[in-house]
Amino acid sequence: MNATMTAFGLVLAPILPLLLLLFWCVPALRPRVEVLTPWAAVPAVLLVLFGETGMRVELSWLLFGSALAMDTLTRVFLAFTALLWLGAGLYSQGMLVNDERAGSFRLAWLATMAGNFTLLLAVDVVTFYVGFALMTFAAYGLIIHSRDPEALFAGRVYLIMAILGEGLIIAGLLLAASRTAAPLAAMLADIPAAVMDAPYRDLIIACFFLGFGVKAGVPLVHMWLPLAHPAAPTPASAVLSGAMIKAGLFGWMATLPFGLVALPQWGLGVITTGFVAAFGGALIGVHQRKAKTVLAYSSISQMGLITAGIGAGLYQPALWPALAPALALYAFHHGLAKGALFLGVGVANQAAAHWRFGLWLALALPGLSLAGPMVSGAVAKVSLKIVLEAGIATPTWWRYLPLLLSLAAIGTTTLIARYLWLLSQSEPRAKISGIQWLGWGLLLAVSVVGLILLPWVPTISGIPPDPIYLPDLIWPVLVGLVLAVCASRFLRSWPVPEGDLIIVFPMAARGVWNFLQYVLLKVTHFFIWRRQIRHQRKSVEADTRLERSDVEYLLRRNAALVFALLLAVGLIASILNP
Amino acid sequence: MDGQTLLPVAVVSTSFLAAIGIFLLREHRHRLRGIFNLTAALVKLALVVWMQFGVLAGIPYEFRFPLVQGVHFILRADALGIMFSGLSSVLWLFTTIYAIGYLEDSPNRSRFFGFFSLCVTSTVGIALAGNLFTFFLFYELLTLSTYPLVVHRGTEKALRAGRVYLIYTLCGGAVLLLGVAGLHGLVGDIEFAKATVLPSLAPEYSPLLIVLFMLLIAGLGVKAALLPVHGWLPIAMVAPAPVSALLHAVAVVKAGAFGIVRVVHDVYGVEFAWRLGVLEPLGWLAGATILYGSVRALSQNDLKRRLAFSTVSQVSYVVLGLCLFSPVALAGGLVHLVHQGLMKITLFFCAGNYAETLGVHHVDELDGTGRRMPATSIAFSIGAFGMIGVPPLAGFVTKWYLGIGALEAGAGWVIVVLVASSILNAAYFLPILHRIWFRPQVSPWPEEQFLSHRDTHPWLLLPPLITAGFCIAAAVFAGLTFSPLHWAEVVVTRGGLP
Repeated sequence: MNATMTAFGLVLAPILPLLLLLFWCVPALRPRVEVLTPWAAVPAVLLVLFGETGMRVELSWLLFGSALAMDTLTRVFLAFTALLWLGAGLYSQGMLVNDERAGSFRLAWLATMAGNFTLLLAVDVVTFYVGFALMTFAAYGLIIHSRDPEALFAGRVYLIMAILGEGLIIAGLLLAASRTAAPLAAMLADIPAAVMDAPYRDLIIACFFLGFGVKAGVPLVHMWLPLAHPAAPTPASAVLSGAMIKAGLFGWMATLPFGLVALPQWGLGVITTGFVAAFGGALIGVHQRKAKTVLAYSSISQMGLITAGIGAGLYQPALWPALAPALALYAFHHGLAKGALFLGVGVANQAAAHWRFGLWLALALPGLSLAGPMVSGAVAKVSLKIVLEAGIATPTWWRYLPLLLSLAAIGTTTLIARYLWLLSQSEPRAKISGIQWLGWGLLLAVSVVGLILLPWVPTISGIPPDPIYLPDLIWPVLVGLVLAVCASRFLRSWPVPEGDLIIVFPMAARGVWNFLQYVLLKVTHFFIWRRQIRHQRKSVEADTRLERSDVEYLLRRNAALVFALLLAVGLIASILNP
Repeated sequence: MDGQTLLPVAVVSTSFLAAIGIFLLREHRHRLRGIFNLTAALVKLALVVWMQFGVLAGIPYEFRFPLVQGVHFILRADALGIMFSGLSSVLWLFTTIYAIGYLEDSPNRSRFFGFFSLCVTSTVGIALAGNLFTFFLFYELLTLSTYPLVVHRGTEKALRAGRVYLIYTLCGGAVLLLGVAGLHGLVGDIEFAKATVLPSLAPEYSPLLIVLFMLLIAGLGVKAALLPVHGWLPIAMVAPAPVSALLHAVAVVKAGAFGIVRVVHDVYGVEFAWRLGVLEPLGWLAGATILYGSVRALSQNDLKRRLAFSTVSQVSYVVLGLCLFSPVALAGGLVHLVHQGLMKITLFFCAGNYAETLGVHHVDELDGTGRRMPATSIAFSIGAFGMIGVPPLAGFVTKWYLGIGALEAGAGWVIVVLVASSILNAAYFLPILHRIWFRPQVSPWPEEQFLSHRDTHPWLLLPPLITAGFCIAAAVFAGLTFSPLHWAEVVVTRGGLP
């Protein structure tokens, strides 16, 4: 594809969903838009497949001067994001056939997609934030699609956390952008260096880590995930878990000062947080009773591993050049596998019984990939492990990181086992249509073999799936399976609620709110003296209205004449005035 | 007398002439009155646009004549004045269209539109006033011409609101007069230009200048709804929707904010005011007002009252930007004069539409309005997201400039205020949007009128849609010439701040 086509694609990928959204508002065009909605991700897919990296489109008239571009990292992110939106979009098309709120779902879908693509392709900070905010707010419409109490509660939790996250992100962006050469039109690429030199470096890093962490499922700001995923419709869960979570990761990778400065404290803290999420997610997840909740905790767990990788990058800047692609590959692999697994929940409810076993096996493929020994998963896992092993140097605890990765794979395996078991228990429901099969099949295929088949994926030297890594990948799975079988025989699951810690929050929030209200009330009582006036003046006669139009007219005429006189005097004075 | 002299007078007097004409019309001549109104609004807009090009090219438009020895009546178009008069003439046009639709078949329309035009006359007079005296003249005229609009409904509640409004603004006016007279006694007639007079005074006058500054700000702060003297604004929202819209977006509140800009920027000069040490406390006051207004807005169930507290909060962004002593923040504050106007007028138009079409006045009655009135609801959502500061909408531009400017000036606390205010704005606007879009209608509308089967009467629908479009355009095309942001930057450059 030549440069012109790439430029066209760069603009079209984020704009097309928005255009469709506008066209939807015209009733005559609505049926066409409905057919086209899932295909709105196609320009992005084509851009990934055929576009040129390094090409940059300047839109200097837009905002404070906007620009779009695609580099190698963006390309990997855009690849799985676009594929997910396409696959899940096709699936949603079948799901929405008899849905009375299909229109509202499609609008939210298109807006979230546009935001997601924009933030990936943005070159400047403002455009990036535009995309991020659009995605954040529009996703609310996806989460609460069913409008039942669980969905509304999940939506509320999501929105509160997301807005706090947005606040932290904008604070971080402002603090960082003000240290760049052109603060008002800061480029995203200049942010890490600005953060490194900034006087409030730790504050900025904290803002970014937590702000983007809301999306990425960092512990303590992760609660929306296990609530939103089971409540949202299946294709929405797929993109939330596959694409939107990764936007948080993308935010970290774009803004934190990787490879520039060693931040051992941050590194250690983030690595610890990551593994807490990885193991905590698995521990809580295996006790869940809904397949989608299990997957949500699996996402938290997987993002925990990625977070640990982020921490490693902060700890050892020298690792970053190799670590960044490894993390991107991991995100690619997890995003697509998770998408296939989520859509699998819908597919598994398929009625035909003789199909069921084969279907179940097909569902297990992305699960196996997630745990390690399938093509894509193997590439991703081995890449991350090799990079982390390369970093074994100073602290002794570092040498245990690869082992921890393997142990986490045990947790992943048990989660997947739990998921498959829950699916096999589920009641068959309505049939799904051809287009839904197509969407799921697409994601299934790319999630299992995508990483070696897609030609533009950057390869890390020495990591074509080599049999020597096989034992390393297989033993955690075997241990996990044994554990899962034992557990299903001998243990009963604990009733851990979805969203775990969230139950603490309403109580705490109510306490704080009551206290605040009490303080506010006292303060207001103190300041607002006019309340007393209001009580005293109750007995003012009710109707002092000037109703008779004659009196009105005379009054108005007199007023008009006075004004006219004033004007005349003014004019005369001004004319006489030299 | 040539064009350069007459143009400012012409701009002010178009709406004045319209007021006279409308007062003379009999009540039932609504068509003629409509023509009067719209022609005047269009002519004024055309004249302002003409002057805009002229000012950009550096042509001085000035009209002056001496009233008594040493006191001049001056109308002058500088960049700041043009920005404000541009805003008021654009919004006057849309508010007039809206008001014609809104007040269809209601009594006393001649009185209403007459004072309405008079109100705009005073606003444009305030914008183009060339010295403190002329400014004060129009400022007081504004108080008097808005009173009949606030009490237009004539109900007990409206009359009480009018009384509170008068007490507040007349007291404010008296304090302002004290300040103006004090300055006059000190240095004579003070013209709005590059502030050179006051900075050149001997240092022993500084305490006096500080006192006078406090008087001026206290007087102007009443209309700008700064913290301790904001009380009239939420009460005055009983006025009809077009009045509230104009009051909150351009006329009264903005006149106060604009006055503060004039005093700081053109009378004292930002640099001198900074040296006097009066800006920092004012900035803190503005920050406190921003948070206070947002917190109070949270608990209001009356839609217009919630919007009123939101105005209390948002107008202080202008003052905050002025006080940070950074050109970028100053541009952010100035541009918010326009941005807040666009967003808030959209919101009030929409609130009026809900009230007029469905009889919905309270937040908890809004369930399902999105389905019944989609276009109005889209406009409302754009205004609300703009207020929160979500890009790419007008409010974001302000927030970005204020934030970057504050950091340049080393005022990190402003970031906390901005972020907290955004979160609070989200906390009181998003529940409204949730009700509008995502909840089904539960009970029949309180008083439904079938103004149109799709949404509402076109005269009521068009203005909010257009102003909502402006809210988007002001941010999306912020970099282009003639965007509000560009004008704010012109004002800042010509003001000669370092």
